[in-house]
Amino acid sequence: MEKAMSNFMRLSFKNVFRNRRRTAITGLVLVFGATALILAGGFIAYSFRGLRESTIHGELGHIQLFNKEYLLHEEDRPLELGLDSADAMKKKIMMVNHVRFTMARIDFMGLISNGDKSEAFLGRGVEPDKELKLSDLGLNMDRGQFLDQDPSDMKDNQVVLASGLAKTMKAKLGDYLTLMTTTSTGALNALDVKVVGVYSTGIPEYDERALMVDLSTAQQILNSKKVTKLVVVLDQTDETIKVAAQLEKMFPNVTAKRWFDLATFYNSVVRLYNAIFGFLGIIIFVIVVLSSSNTMMMSIFERTKEIGTQLAVGTSRLRLMLNFVYEGLIIGVLGALLGLVIAYGVSVLINNSNIMMPAPPGRTTGYPLLVDTVPMLFVGVFILMSLTTVVSSVIPAFKASRLKIVDALGHI
Amino acid sequence: MSKKGNDMNPLVQTKEIIKTYTLGRTEVHALRGLSLDFEPGEFTAISGPSGSGKTTLLNLLGLIDSPTSGTVFLEGSQVKYNGLTKLHSIRLEKLGFIFQTFNLIPVLTAYENVEYPLLLMKKSSVQRREMVEKVLREVRLWEFRKHKPNELSGGQRQRVAIARALVNRPKLILADEPTANIDSATASEILDLMHTLNEEDNVTFLFSTHDQLVMQHARRIVKLHDGVILNGESNV
Ligand SMILES: Nc1ncnc2c1ncn2[C@@H]1O[C@H](COP(=O)(O)OP(=O)(O)O)[C@@H](O)[C@H]1O
Ligand SMILES: [Mg+2]
Repeated sequence: MEKAMSNFMRLSFKNVFRNRRRTAITGLVLVFGATALILAGGFIAYSFRGLRESTIHGELGHIQLFNKEYLLHEEDRPLELGLDSADAMKKKIMMVNHVRFTMARIDFMGLISNGDKSEAFLGRGVEPDKELKLSDLGLNMDRGQFLDQDPSDMKDNQVVLASGLAKTMKAKLGDYLTLMTTTSTGALNALDVKVVGVYSTGIPEYDERALMVDLSTAQQILNSKKVTKLVVVLDQTDETIKVAAQLEKMFPNVTAKRWFDLATFYNSVVRLYNAIFGFLGIIIFVIVVLSSSNTMMMSIFERTKEIGTQLAVGTSRLRLMLNFVYEGLIIGVLGALLGLVIAYGVSVLINNSNIMMPAPPGRTTGYPLLVDTVPMLFVGVFILMSLTTVVSSVIPAFKASRLKIVDALGHI
Repeated sequence: MSKKGNDMNPLVQTKEIIKTYTLGRTEVHALRGLSLDFEPGEFTAISGPSGSGKTTLLNLLGLIDSPTSGTVFLEGSQVKYNGLTKLHSIRLEKLGFIFQTFNLIPVLTAYENVEYPLLLMKKSSVQRREMVEKVLREVRLWEFRKHKPNELSGGQRQRVAIARALVNRPKLILADEPTANIDSATASEILDLMHTLNEEDNVTFLFSTHDQLVMQHARRIVKLHDGVILNGESNV
């Protein structure tokens, strides 16, 4: 049976190459389609990768650990549902494979005052040295510098302000401001902090309200030893899911949020571009199907008498149809393979030629045009392009198999 | 009726077959009620001028067309055209076709053309090789087995076609004007070959012709004219 299939495959193979010019044209369309999809897909994959890493390193880290309750209920008081023994947890986390480092953060809010006026703020208590390890935040200060690395030496409690908030507070470097919040026990507390730097988050709404202080400063004003969350940074993004599962097992009362659970912007960008890419795929699929079904139809029309002969000598209609579908499959597979090779070549060429894309809106610098070679994309495009000619051969093949034998034989 | 004097059914039998083509509003009566018996081992010519219905008759006997009315029997059983009879497997296993224009598959070599029906029959490669070689030697084309049809002369092509028709040892070979497209010297050769196959292997041949010379080879002649059998069907 299998043997018989390969025999008919051989016949289809020979038929594919009887009209080389036409096969070449169909092949060319396939090559074009495969190349276009792989380059577009590779560029999108490259962009996703960039966006993913900047999402992780700009803010989220790979995994964030919360008290289970924190995500379920509103806190009545600051840090009420925080993590208790952050330091002990950190030690354990550091033992886990692929963990580069872990750091605590505290989210809190309150009022900030310069003596003349007060504004609401969204504060974050951080471990400055580790925040700098995660991102290039320290290098992107608008003015001044990031929080001091070693809090034990600090005489003053330091603060860095987001640019909008600095402006409303009319704060200059070295100024003292007062933070006011409720503590974890419900009392009111105030603390003077010294402005050491001003930064921008890139998101205007945040820039109006955000500020950062050292973790110990935050704990001091909130009167608590707890932290809101632990941020875990890995050496490989691909390990995120595995490590998160491992951490949840380690700490039963903790929920591990993976970066993509938290990255709403990244997720919506990915969804949008995947939709665009899917649409592109459909368009190319349709173009290839239409153009190749036309040539397929022509080649069947030319062979009408031969089809009549094959049916007369006892070929079943199903067999005949299959033989034509094989032809489609053969052209598809060969064209798709050639397309992959060419697409790969072009990718390498592009990646080596240092083409710069113009700066996107809101940025001052352009970025290099690069395309990732994603194995799954190659597999997907290969299957899709191989299928196009199978699909486009089905209707002509069916028509051929329905021909009336006497009419077909009489066809000149 | 039966030459061998036994009770066996004729190989093919037609009863009152009528074939009418409709061309727009006019009707062409290609066959007007033919009843014919063909016995195993016959070597019979169907003769008649162009348009007399020879091709139509052979197509009906070869199960590649259906009659407007009347019935065809193959080895005693009635052929059903509604899908109940697997016509293609009967054609594959019991019938062989030889066409006026040879109708070989151009991309296949002589060998592969002859092998083609055996592939359809799912014969093993050993069997195929054996059967193809035997029949290609019979038609004296073994040396040309690797040639494509366009590398062969008309006579050679028709011999390949004969080999293809013969390879699965069918009960009946139908040949529609098999020599019309080849010169007369080669035509006699082809007819001699068919004759030999008939005499030595008892292959039944029905062939149509309007050539007097070809008719001389036949043992029986069915004369058609305007879709009816002329009086005096002759046994040579
Ligand atoms: N497909 C067809 N449609 C209409 N008329 C046909 C068709 N095939 C044959 N005929 C007509 O039927 C008659 C018999 O044709 P045919 O069997 O081909 O005769 P022959 O083979 O003896 O030349 C002719 O008048 C021919 O024109
Ligand atoms: Mg004819």
